[in-house]
Amino acid sequence: MNIFQEIWKSIVRRDPLSTDKGKSELVFMNVWLHIHPAKVKKENMKFTHSFYLGFITFFLFIILVTTGIALMAYYRPYPPHAYQDMKDLQFVVFMGPFLRNMHRWAAHGMVICVFLHMCRVFYTGSYKKPRQFNWVIGVFLLLLTLGMSFTGYLMPWDQLAYWAITVGTNIGSYAPIVGGQLRELLLGGHTVGEAALLRFYVLHVALLPAVLILFTIVHFWRVRKDGGLSRPLWKLKKKTPPQLVTIGAPAEVAALQTVPASTTKTYGLMEVVTGKPIFETIAPEEADEEVFSYPYAFVREAVTLMATVTTIMTISLFFNAPLEELANPAKTPNPAKAPWYFLGLQELVSHSALLGGVVIPGLMVVALLLIPYIDRNPSRHLRDRKWALWIFTIFVVANLILIVIGTFFRGPGWALVPPWVHVTGGVE
Amino acid sequence: MNRRSFLSWGAVGVAALCSGVVVSLGAVLKFLTPTVFYEPPQAFKIGNPGDFPFGQPTFLVEEKIYVFRDRVKGFAVASAVCTHLGCTVAHFSSDDRFHCPCHGSVFGADGAVIHGPAPRALDWYEVTQTRDGQLRVDKDKIVPPTYRLMV
Ligand code: HEM
Ligand code: FES
Repeated sequence: MNIFQEIWKSIVRRDPLSTDKGKSELVFMNVWLHIHPAKVKKENMKFTHSFYLGFITFFLFIILVTTGIALMAYYRPYPPHAYQDMKDLQFVVFMGPFLRNMHRWAAHGMVICVFLHMCRVFYTGSYKKPRQFNWVIGVFLLLLTLGMSFTGYLMPWDQLAYWAITVGTNIGSYAPIVGGQLRELLLGGHTVGEAALLRFYVLHVALLPAVLILFTIVHFWRVRKDGGLSRPLWKLKKKTPPQLVTIGAPAEVAALQTVPASTTKTYGLMEVVTGKPIFETIAPEEADEEVFSYPYAFVREAVTLMATVTTIMTISLFFNAPLEELANPAKTPNPAKAPWYFLGLQELVSHSALLGGVVIPGLMVVALLLIPYIDRNPSRHLRDRKWALWIFTIFVVANLILIVIGTFFRGPGWALVPPWVHVTGGVE
Repeated sequence: MNRRSFLSWGAVGVAALCSGVVVSLGAVLKFLTPTVFYEPPQAFKIGNPGDFPFGQPTFLVEEKIYVFRDRVKGFAVASAVCTHLGCTVAHFSSDDRFHCPCHGSVFGADGAVIHGPAPRALDWYEVTQTRDGQLRVDKDKIVPPTYRLMV
């Protein structure tokens, strides 16, 4: 064995990938891959079941972390500099605009995909037992994603940023009792100023990403422990009780033993490596539906990653992230609009700050969190879930309508202006 | 150690731990609450009466206030911060009203809400004349819209 072979062997200690043992060792002898089972159910990988939206969300987050770290090399979180640094990134730094665009478009993409992922999980009834709590963790991930977007929004310190954050944090101050203090704590002062920019920066680059990563780890761990993805709806029909099947020969030591059949256990190949007898608890007709994660699942994930990165890069080549003029506390742009995903909130707030800014969003979050505990209907079949489907669809559509109104139908002075009417400036 | 003293020491220990956690959380909150503000003072001088024209109000950018001067009635100072969510209102001479660009609140000449989601009228601040003859505005002293300073 030459030295290179020896080095290679010291790094990669599994059997060759041409063997089944090597394929499973690849998964569970590797710290990064062992979140996967060694084998996965074929139909769970079907694109039309999950649309890979959870993965896409995660990959967008990876893009955000990498481009974000790059941007940090130039960005100073103090009011006059912050804006200058953005201008530098936009006009003088090599690849600056491209990285900034990627960061911005991936952020929008993540908000969209996390929402779509939530819808997918809802419509496939995947929040039902035993996955109730993973839905709850998911709702926190949704809120954290919105928090990341909101704090990031202030970073450029332009007019858009300044006023969106002024309005956004003032909404919080309508919360009973703690509202005022909450805002002071967040802003480190009474107005959006230097202290606020610094605090938002700390939240945006340190605290929120750290918490988001921790929650994501738990989220993934639980997907794995719940036996992988829920079964696709079209596979729900027949329910065969799991049976005990011996799929390997016992080692010379023990006589053939039987272990109780488990309905949730999806792993079993571990025994190959430990040399113990192999017992797989799978229903017979499922046996041929399982394939090794390597290469089947990994290739699909890699393709999803590449598609996500390519899409964001392509968009970033053609569309520039907006940068308005320097923040001016004296002059509110007309109309002043929050980022699009908060425009539904702003629309509500334009009717009543307390009701629209605190009560309704608060109730929406509580309702989302409680969905798996309110909806006790065990069936995942669409035809058994009429009520749940209607209510959730109304929730989604109402949000979309509010966002569309806020985005396209609100003109100067927040007056209702259809998008096809062109208005130039306010009445003066 | 008998069962009884074990339990009571245990209880003391748990209580100490809990209070420790509460105190630490309080300390973290207190740490995060700013003790110094590098913000403009609430009371400030805005210049001599002669600096302000009659009729149209003067908008002071940094202070976010409108200074009104009337030949008969004298000086009055209104806040330019919308009471809804803090956008800066604009005074339109065409209708002598304040318009908020964010969610469309409209305030009358006296600051009262005419239209929109603003929950209360614009604030009017006390304006006084200091011994050196300058005008002084104190944002901590809210006055009724009828308040006027004659100089
Ligand atoms: C940062 C945000 C999030 C990331 C990165 C993420 C990632 C993932 C991934 C990779 C999966 C497995 C495969 C897939 O569905 O593509 C998954 C499954 C799941 N997610 Fe998320 N997710 C996020 C937010 C959410 C939200 C907002 C919810 C719901 C409120 C949620 C609830 C669930 C549930 C219940 C499953 C299991 C689905 C099943 O078994 O079919 N997740 N998530
Ligand atoms: S901030 Fe003025 S109407 Fe909302």
